Amino acid sequence: MATLTLLAPLGARADGPYVSDTACLVWLDNATNASSGDGILGAFTVGAGGTASWIHSGGFSTLVLTSLSADLEVCTPFSGLDNVAVGPRLEVRHKLDVGPYAPAVFAGIDGQLVGFDDPERSKAEGAVFAGYSQRFTDALQLVVEGRAAGCDARETVFTGSYARLGATLNWDPNETWRFTVTGGWRNGDTVAGYEAYKSPSGWEPIDPGAYELTGPWRHVATFSKPFLDYRVSAQTWSYGAAISPAVGRNTSVTLGFTRFETLGPDPYISDEVRLSIAHKY
Amino acid sequence: MNRLLAAALLAATALCAHAAGIVRVVTKDASGNPVADAVAYAVALDGTPQVHPPSKPVAIVQKDQEFQTYVTPVVVGTRVVFPNKDNVQHHVYSVSPAKKFEIPLYIGESSASILFDRPGPVTLGCNIHDWMVAYVFVLSTPYFAKTGTDGVADISGLPQGRYRLEVWHPRLAAKVERELVVAESGDSTQVVSVTLRPDRRIRRAPDAGGADYK
Repeated sequence: MATLTLLAPLGARADGPYVSDTACLVWLDNATNASSGDGILGAFTVGAGGTASWIHSGGFSTLVLTSLSADLEVCTPFSGLDNVAVGPRLEVRHKLDVGPYAPAVFAGIDGQLVGFDDPERSKAEGAVFAGYSQRFTDALQLVVEGRAAGCDARETVFTGSYARLGATLNWDPNETWRFTVTGGWRNGDTVAGYEAYKSPSGWEPIDPGAYELTGPWRHVATFSKPFLDYRVSAQTWSYGAAISPAVGRNTSVTLGFTRFETLGPDPYISDEVRLSIAHKY
Repeated sequence: MNRLLAAALLAATALCAHAAGIVRVVTKDASGNPVADAVAYAVALDGTPQVHPPSKPVAIVQKDQEFQTYVTPVVVGTRVVFPNKDNVQHHVYSVSPAKKFEIPLYIGESSASILFDRPGPVTLGCNIHDWMVAYVFVLSTPYFAKTGTDGVADISGLPQGRYRLEVWHPRLAAKVERELVVAESGDSTQVVSVTLRPDRRIRRAPDAGGADYK
């Protein structure tokens, strides 16, 4: 709500604001990005955020959307992952025809400043994105989106530059229920964690196989155990499903599961269960 | 003289009452529940009565990102305006055969009224908010009425004669019509059963963390 108050004067000079708030509870079973046997630790995260968007007419069937988001996440039991994020977004959206089944294309840029309680994780991200949205029937809609960024600031899982392609298929059997399946592919920098111990010569991974990794590494004190994080380039496949009942016209609750499978020299798997609520004003 | 005039007025009034009956149409669905937003209309089988569109445009207001009137019956030749009372822009359109038009993104009053010059159902939408839907039903008969939440519509001003009574609803599964005779004695009640398809609306609730206007 503080976000809304701050943005109200801007909104008075634009079309909007279109405002939405979200709150979520997330269980990530591998917050350390560790391979099996190398120190997998799970973590709960509680989050809340708000987005205010302004809509400008860019001409026939074209919208220009500008928005500002602010989010807060508190991670238990690893306070180093607590973070706040703010970021603007500029998006151009064009519907190629009229009617609910007309495809829409969109593209834009966004950015985020993320400050973690663990200062080494704080960073800024800038990204470009583009996508395509198609409603096949009143019940079925596909959204495909590509994204490239210099840094994955929002995710504690990844860091460094990356490109991502994702698809979302929504099925709404009626006005209340939505079932979603998602799939994604990401190529770029990742961070793999290895449980470590302190030897006379310094921090070393418990798993001797980690020595085969050639990427840069550093000691991480974020977790309840010491870790060495290796930065490697890898591909990640993700796939998930969610169920989302609407609670009235402007609110929905979503329970979703997503599995991330990172390949490469140090493969690891992360499962995420997310319960969230979204409300738009 | 005054008595004569009064008698003549009384006779004329009585004649008009006989010549203009009211047909009450009571609509019910398969479960016996009243059907709101159905258009009941009578098509004259003996002659073609003229329709007189209103001199001022009919308004279909958009508010809370919905059309405020779900079904609007009008006669051929009626102009309709689409005031947008939201704080976001709308892009009203129709791709229906009876009327194709679009009013690109606007807020406040629409720039021009739309002339509905052919009979038939017209589905309205917003090209930004896909869940917004409403209907204009364009009629070539002056004898029509829309049912309220009680499922009742009173068609008034019907001269004596033969008619085809029809009922239209956006979710009507099968055509409903019957012959109707308006007698000299005037008013009548018609109970009409209609079969409706399920109410299918595009969901408008937001996604958690997702962008809007997809």
